[in-house]
Amino acid sequence: MAERSDVELLEELLAREHRLLSAYEAALRRDAIDVKLGEWLRDHEREHVRAIEQALAGRGERNPRATVPAPELTAALRSGESFGRYAIELEEQTVGDYSDAAASIRASGLRQPLGSIMACTAAHMVALRDSLGYRQLLN
Amino acid sequence: MAPSLTRREALGGAAAAAVLASCGGGDPPPSTGPAPGSGAALLGSLLALERAAIAAYGTCAELLSGRALQHVRGMTAQERGHASRLERLITDLGGEPAPGRSAEEQARTFPRLGSADDALRFAEDLKERELRAYLEALAELPSVDLRTETSRICADEANHLGAIRVLRGLPAAQGPFVTGAL
Repeated sequence: MAERSDVELLEELLAREHRLLSAYEAALRRDAIDVKLGEWLRDHEREHVRAIEQALAGRGERNPRATVPAPELTAALRSGESFGRYAIELEEQTVGDYSDAAASIRASGLRQPLGSIMACTAAHMVALRDSLGYRQLLN
Repeated sequence: MAPSLTRREALGGAAAAAVLASCGGGDPPPSTGPAPGSGAALLGSLLALERAAIAAYGTCAELLSGRALQHVRGMTAQERGHASRLERLITDLGGEPAPGRSAEEQARTFPRLGSADDALRFAEDLKERELRAYLEALAELPSVDLRTETSRICADEANHLGAIRVLRGLPAAQGPFVTGAL
């Protein structure tokens, strides 16, 4: 696989964050998530979007990813439980993306901050599992 | 000699700092082995940290029951896996993992914990320090392969920290940037 540039890595993370943000906004609109938890998650995603956009600023030509609503989201919004499972999966994929990006990004000054967002994203999975009443919180 | 800590120190960062500062920094450096800058020394520090954490969570487990005990046991098992991975990485770099301290030696550096709440608070503080150490290593390790391994362990540590916080009745994350900011 061709190595991706730092801008490409950050654009992919930004697309992920937009997807999560859209999911939590939709879940809050459709009452598919506890309001307090949904707002907590949504506010974190907003901060992550802001941070990645800030990291992208001044890094040359942007190549934004098109973001289209995921068809699975519509189905997931049918109930709190199905949305919770969907969100856990999305957060898990995002942790994987951050893990890869934090390791491979060339700008060494961004590795720790990306790891910091990854850590928050891993904590989101715990919060979602707890909200679904799962006894096991660990991966 | 066992350190004498007040209750407040024992439950705060001072205790965890004392534990982690004593987790292997006094080991003599190897006379032969990997080249300077290979990352082996940094991995050795992380390994010492993992071993101290494994021993500390064992002590915490003695005070826990039910769901909290189940989770601390699960975390300890994953920590053992992390330690094995770090040992392998050090070996692959031509180094020899330090033998580390015995469980008894490690235990002498731990604060006295009197309750399940004490144990979880201590575990949270240790976990934050482990996570911070892995995040710092991400910035410093020289190769993508080493950073990929540590990044994956870092994700596990973040998962553990979130679980401990939930078990304590706290939000899984303190804020949008765990231990740092962009």
